Amino acid sequence: MQVFVAGKGVITAIGNNVAENLQSFYEGRSGISDITILRTNYAGKLPAGEIKFSNAALAAMAGLEGTVSRTGLFSMIAAREALQDAQIPEPGKWRIGFLSANTVGGMDITENIFKAFHEDHTKADLSEVEQHDTGAITDIVAAQLGIKDFVTTISTACSSSANSIMLGARLIKNNLLDIALAGGTDALSRFTLNGFNSLMILDDKPCTPYNETRKGLNLGEGAGYIVLVSERVAKTLPKKVMASLSGYANANDAFHQTASSPEGKGNYLAMTGALAMTGLRHEAIGYINVHGTGTNNNDLSESIAMERIFGIAPPKFSSTKTFTGHTLGACGGVEAVYSLLAMEHQIIPPHLRWTAQMKEVPFKPVTELMTGVEINHAMSNSFGFGGNCSSLIFSKVN
Amino acid sequence: MLYINGTVCLSPQPTSDTSVFLPEVKEYHSNKIFCIDVDYSKFFDAGSMRRMGRIIKFGVTAGILALKDAGVETPGAISTGTGYGLMDISQKFLNSVIDSEETIVSPTSFIQSTHNTVSSNIALMVGCHAHNNTFAHRGFSFESVITDALLLGKEGFDNILVGAYDEVSDHSYRSMMRMDMLRAEPCSNLKLFSESHCGTIAGEGAAFFVLAKQKSDPTYGTIKACKTFPAPADANDLKRTVLGFLSDNGLSPKEIDIVLSGHCGDAKADRLNNILTHDTFSEQSILAFKHLCGEYMTATSFATWLAAKMMKTQTIPEVLYLENRNREPRNILIYNSLKANHSLMLFANV
Repeated sequence: MQVFVAGKGVITAIGNNVAENLQSFYEGRSGISDITILRTNYAGKLPAGEIKFSNAALAAMAGLEGTVSRTGLFSMIAAREALQDAQIPEPGKWRIGFLSANTVGGMDITENIFKAFHEDHTKADLSEVEQHDTGAITDIVAAQLGIKDFVTTISTACSSSANSIMLGARLIKNNLLDIALAGGTDALSRFTLNGFNSLMILDDKPCTPYNETRKGLNLGEGAGYIVLVSERVAKTLPKKVMASLSGYANANDAFHQTASSPEGKGNYLAMTGALAMTGLRHEAIGYINVHGTGTNNNDLSESIAMERIFGIAPPKFSSTKTFTGHTLGACGGVEAVYSLLAMEHQIIPPHLRWTAQMKEVPFKPVTELMTGVEINHAMSNSFGFGGNCSSLIFSKVN
Repeated sequence: MLYINGTVCLSPQPTSDTSVFLPEVKEYHSNKIFCIDVDYSKFFDAGSMRRMGRIIKFGVTAGILALKDAGVETPGAISTGTGYGLMDISQKFLNSVIDSEETIVSPTSFIQSTHNTVSSNIALMVGCHAHNNTFAHRGFSFESVITDALLLGKEGFDNILVGAYDEVSDHSYRSMMRMDMLRAEPCSNLKLFSESHCGTIAGEGAAFFVLAKQKSDPTYGTIKACKTFPAPADANDLKRTVLGFLSDNGLSPKEIDIVLSGHCGDAKADRLNNILTHDTFSEQSILAFKHLCGEYMTATSFATWLAAKMMKTQTIPEVLYLENRNREPRNILIYNSLKANHSLMLFANV
């Protein structure tokens, strides 16, 4: 049974919706900049893919209260766009699930109230306290969208939203849902900024993944969701369905809590597992949106695993984290949207700031925007802490 | 449907010994109760023992012990759930960020703060490269794990290690206080349901299960189905959902023997449980569990452990009864609610 993609929505540092994100690829406009919204000592010192809107402005965009955490606001904006894009004629007819993902929950709020709350728990507003956990964010958006049939949250670090998309497809294939709104969200927080900085894997300049000289990642924020539908639902849609989710796999590196194995075992298993599900030969993949964070470790493991699967001439690939930064729990959803955009618009989003060939592998990413590229199958990789590795493959529907 | 071929639970009660079933019951006089520690040093080296948060220790240990109970070395997949995640260690890190004004922070607690730490540490320890998921959705966390596992069973996976874990952290305790969820005065956990009160007691624990397509000898029983749903409009709405769930699984309410109800001791929160267990299940034995484990987002994993043990031993500890209607533990239904998260799980003995 096939699972089709009926809609997509995204908000990142390079745009508030799908069209703006696409336009940024055409213009080669990176969203990595000095931090101006998040209150942190690292403003001006560590760049990030920060969305330049205050919570109040985002709340107005989302149609939610200004007291909702940034994580929830991004989620609402992108999830609603994806649902509207899907144009499902009679949504009430179907079983709809909201499968979301995030890693920080309402941390942006928690860190502001934390001190006072721990001195006196009556000091914080109830809504602030209630939004701390990851599930709270999902519940707020599910309630706003009126989705009740199945609601959950996955939190597997940087592969979180690839896994929520996978779960959506599995629920549809097993006839537990007809429609799955799936993806994830995460907001910048001092918690993650300081955490990644303490691991010494943040670049103090805009990141340069897959460069021999790479120094680390930039954090980003945002949300990305897609609408997956069954064949029955797909037949009722007013527009032509462009893509299916044809393959996916979730594997674990089981090597180290925060580092990936030098041979990229988990990465290899995720990519080969997804390929095996499609039944395609590896040559059929036309584009890989790589995880490509810019850390020494990730890019090495990922590229070695790619060489093992695809040989010395892998498919065209790029890391769109050069535009958005690493959006953590959101990146699987955001980059699923980008992989779909690449197929739909026949483009390869450019991999920015590439200058120095990695010495361990003979290949390099696509560094200039390519247009008119026929892509029939696109792969999206998401690898994370804890060895959680997931790959998705989208295929063009003719 | 999957067989439960192994399980271990670490909780505020003496539940860690797989050879017995609740040999005694612990009484506490507090509105928060903690897991009884086992000797974790058998599972972690000295460095990890020092560094690792308590929840990682009891979570990972329960997982490893459940595999041992099932006689499985490396599971075919791992799926776990946690409501609040690794809150205590996250709080430690956040404190250092705030107290030092972002100048002195150590990566040790940040590394352990991600929700998938327990699941990935188990994978690391048993060399499991397969499917590895962590759900973190409040009162649906463990139920989502069960849904994941039931799907995995149909997708060709076997010997799936599933489990859930949550801890009473300073932050979660304060949050529950702020949300008026806890008893204001210390009370005995064993008298949690004795009179009408406001609030419950905070609890914690870890329970893991090995779910398989073939039964081991002896197996504990089977898990048949799971459903999550938002707060019902009223008791009739809840009844419709419960009857629909049973009928989807080929059962009528009469065929249910035991209802394990998520009564928490808060008169308001227990209202729907009371109506359901008096009205729809008037012939069934009604059992409670939160007086033993306390209230936490994944408390249904403790109830699932109780269901497994009852099915295997065909005994029902006296301390569980809200209503004893002399039924044997064959078909068991768990109904739980945590604010807007309501869930049902169905078990049958072999």
